[in-house]
Amino acid sequence: MRKIIFYTVPILILSFFIFIMNSGGYYKRPRGEIDNVPKYIEAVKKDLLEEEWDGALKNAEKLELAWDKVVQRIQFSVEREEINAINAGLARLLGFIEGRDKGGALAEINEIGEHWRDLEK
Amino acid sequence: MNKTLVVVVRSLIGFFSLLIFTRVLGKQQISQLTFFEYVLGITIGSIAASLTTDLDSRAWPHWVGLVTWTAAVILVQFVVLKWRYASKFLDGEPTIVIMNGKIMEKSMKAMRYTLTDLLEQLRIKGVFDIKEVEFAVFEKNGDLSVLKKSQYQPVTPKDLNLSTTYKGISTELIYDGIIVDQNLKQVNLDRNWLKAELEKRGIKDPSEVFLALLDTSGELYIDTYADHLNSLNGVTDISDYPGPN
Repeated sequence: MRKIIFYTVPILILSFFIFIMNSGGYYKRPRGEIDNVPKYIEAVKKDLLEEEWDGALKNAEKLELAWDKVVQRIQFSVEREEINAINAGLARLLGFIEGRDKGGALAEINEIGEHWRDLEK
Repeated sequence: MNKTLVVVVRSLIGFFSLLIFTRVLGKQQISQLTFFEYVLGITIGSIAASLTTDLDSRAWPHWVGLVTWTAAVILVQFVVLKWRYASKFLDGEPTIVIMNGKIMEKSMKAMRYTLTDLLEQLRIKGVFDIKEVEFAVFEKNGDLSVLKKSQYQPVTPKDLNLSTTYKGISTELIYDGIIVDQNLKQVNLDRNWLKAELEKRGIKDPSEVFLALLDTSGELYIDTYADHLNSLNGVTDISDYPGPN
């Protein structure tokens, strides 16, 4: 029995660590409406293409809220640089929307999407 | 993102991973390490440090690096254990630096080992006159093993044909005020015997005892928490300058 515990406990601990370090892909999946980042990225993009500035602003704010929820879960397994890049991208996106700059806003939302996909890589 | 929390979690991952990996690596002590093993230790420690505080990269690649280095060390340990020829290349061999009283200059030059180093290590071994040395071997871990000439070796009881008594390892019966029942049982004694022995020495309770050892001749060594030292042989202050101790 002691021998089993001697081997099992370290294996369980290491397995738990491996899970934490690789849980980014699992934890970034939406748990509901409020933290559905990919959905709001698409919604903002659609609004921008149709030049629906009020809708784009509303969805960008929802995207920011969703991102804040997700980042709490994924912070242990992803690069801080990626998190910072999305934070900065969101700030610039809101600025471009407020300034009614379609090209800049589209570039930002695409970059945010790229960083989102790269998160767990 | 809470940086403090992330560092705490990553520190725990690094700490316990290192703890497990070093247990897997075995029981070699620092003093027995070769230079390569010493460098390996530093590298593995450095990877664990990056895993903890380098938040710009994921913890996973650092952890994989940690596992790979540990696995490589285990592999080398295994090869050295099973294959003597490889062990000569990977682990090196001890080198004789003094043979039959003669200094082996060529061997020393090949190891970039100076005469000053040799004399220093001899002094550490208590040899202040090189004439006393028959053999000196420079070990893989950097230590020097010295065999003195027979006329300089200390006299042993065997030389004087004296009979000696067996001396083995002492058994701990009380450790930090707690009776170690497992050890008492091992030497076929019980708590009643121990308490009687303590009473003989004026000790009422085992909790007053810091350490009690039973040697192989049956003699009991007892050290209590209360050290009754008189003013003459009181605690000696070895500090040579006033200030906090």
